[in-house]
Amino acid sequence: MIYLLEDAINGILMGSIYGLTALGLTIVFGVLKVINFAHGSLLMVGMYLALWSVSLIGIHPYLALIIVVPVMYFFGYYLQDIVIKPIFKAEKDVREPITVIIVTTGVWYVLDNLTLLIFGPQYRSIQANPLKGKMIELGEIFISVPKLWGFCTAIITAFGVYYFFQYTRMGRAIRATSLDRDAASLAGINQYKIYNIAFGIGTAVAGIAAVTLVPFYNIFPTVGVLFDIKGFIIVVLGGLGSMGGAIIGGIIVGLIESIGPQFMTATWTEAIVYGLFLLVLFVKPSGLFGEKHDW
Amino acid sequence: MTGKENLRVKKTNLKAQKKGLDSHTGSHIKAGSGPFVTRGNIKTMSLALAVLVAFGLPLVITSPTYLHIIVLMFFYAYLTTSWNMVGGFAGVLPLGHSVFIGIGAYTSTILSLQYGVSPWIGMMIGGILSVFVGVLIGLPTFKMRGAYFALATIAFAEGFRVMVENIDFIGPLNVNGPRGLQIPPQNYGFANFMFAGKEPYYYIILIMLIGVLALTWFISRSKLGYYLNAGGEEPEAAMALGVNVAKTKLAAMAISSFFTALAGTFYAQFSLFIHPKSIISLDISFEIAFIALIGGRGSIAGPVLGALLLRPVSDFSRIYFGDILPGLHLVIYGVILILVMIFQPRGIQESLTRMYDSVVDRVVTWSQKDGEA
Repeated sequence: MIYLLEDAINGILMGSIYGLTALGLTIVFGVLKVINFAHGSLLMVGMYLALWSVSLIGIHPYLALIIVVPVMYFFGYYLQDIVIKPIFKAEKDVREPITVIIVTTGVWYVLDNLTLLIFGPQYRSIQANPLKGKMIELGEIFISVPKLWGFCTAIITAFGVYYFFQYTRMGRAIRATSLDRDAASLAGINQYKIYNIAFGIGTAVAGIAAVTLVPFYNIFPTVGVLFDIKGFIIVVLGGLGSMGGAIIGGIIVGLIESIGPQFMTATWTEAIVYGLFLLVLFVKPSGLFGEKHDW
Repeated sequence: MTGKENLRVKKTNLKAQKKGLDSHTGSHIKAGSGPFVTRGNIKTMSLALAVLVAFGLPLVITSPTYLHIIVLMFFYAYLTTSWNMVGGFAGVLPLGHSVFIGIGAYTSTILSLQYGVSPWIGMMIGGILSVFVGVLIGLPTFKMRGAYFALATIAFAEGFRVMVENIDFIGPLNVNGPRGLQIPPQNYGFANFMFAGKEPYYYIILIMLIGVLALTWFISRSKLGYYLNAGGEEPEAAMALGVNVAKTKLAAMAISSFFTALAGTFYAQFSLFIHPKSIISLDISFEIAFIALIGGRGSIAGPVLGALLLRPVSDFSRIYFGDILPGLHLVIYGVILILVMIFQPRGIQESLTRMYDSVVDRVVTWSQKDGEA
């Protein structure tokens, strides 16, 4: 029983970090109406960035946020501006352009394999890591410290992003564009600039997730793929475009992954996650917390 | 062919005929039969020439490595053409077609390994099984739009892979879980779908490709093709006109999954080894979509042109740079994809057909000028 409790706690902590990795995905989808298949790769880029800033400058792993977040924001901003915007313009009248989905997949392939070319396939981690293997003991329950920090970061980030979208001028402009891009354009909002900013924010949030992952996760060129597929499942579970939904969807997936192996072979839990995903798609396509849409 | 071009051809034809009538001295153009060099004739002949060249190719290219690359090129052209019936004409983005490859490969391989059933029969059984699965997937998913459909098909494919990896036996059938299935190379011959050289595989996949292309051509000119196009572009308008959009999409899915499964059997017999991670992989599903979009989604020539462009790029860069620069071919892949999508959102097929048409035009006008002189 005590093991089950420990697994549940670890599942919630890890799940909230999954949710954080998926948060950027849901932001980009909410505004651009496009699944960003490159999101996992952006997370990977963020992890390398965090790794290098920690090992080259020698700062505390969490202080890497100061470098990673702005760099990732501009990376996402210009990636959308240079690569994805032209395709949006070519297919103006399509609501969910398929070509854009495929182009983000192209970005994924380029980023992952460029990293492989430059840094090689080996697994890396922070050498002088002050958080490595740190645990809190609560009676018989052990809780990993970096995961606990990850949980706190996820909650704070989700609230921060929510506040930004609800109560700032720019946030309102972004929401207006996501509701009706034509009407927003008529109101004087530059639709494509909003896309750039939303993509930048999504990428910056992926950067935050990367920084929280780096202290306890290995870093390698295809690490993003693991979070990519998981991210899609999480955002659909929680409702595409819903921020709280992303975190809660992440926690659900994390719980299944941590408690599942108590009852079955660990590899079957993956099948359970896909099954649950399909069930939600069929029964309630808008997700557990998403608003009802016309798709 | 635009109306203007049509008119020009008619005019030149008329001129030629008039000339034939005017010159009483043994006219070189027989009245009524028309000139031999017409647009249609040139197109038919160049198509026939292309097929002839394709059939003669193994006589020229004898290197097994190159032949292997070409077989895989045709294999991907075939897969993408099958995919195109759903992904191109029905206007959705399926990203899980590796399910059907897996069903085809596993069905025929298990039947031939355990019961000695000829892979050709297994191929058909796999195809039929795959139709059932395709319809089962299509029934709920075709109600979804855009991103949701793509994600649902990915989930089906990945879920299927996880299941295959975790199952050792289905009743008496040995699936062999994550270890995959090996086909021992023995009893070569047509009945066993197993050959020592690459040439027989080449001809089989070539004939399969021609067959599926002919079918696509036929469908695109049939009622089903028009319904699919209408349902893909404007589902509401099509439904208002009485087209049962869901039913036509299901029909397309059934045809597409059947032919994709056949390719699965081909792949199993060609490589003699199937493994859930490599055959039911997301990479294959994505590559099919890449080829289709680069070539031109929803066109007949698109998948073939896409495979002709992409496959050699990926294979040669893998052969020559694979050791020193791992992953280079996928970088090239991604860059080509992004560039084509930015500059040719309808795929390379569009400008290539335009070029081809203008060449045909030039040949027609040139031959008629020649006749006048």
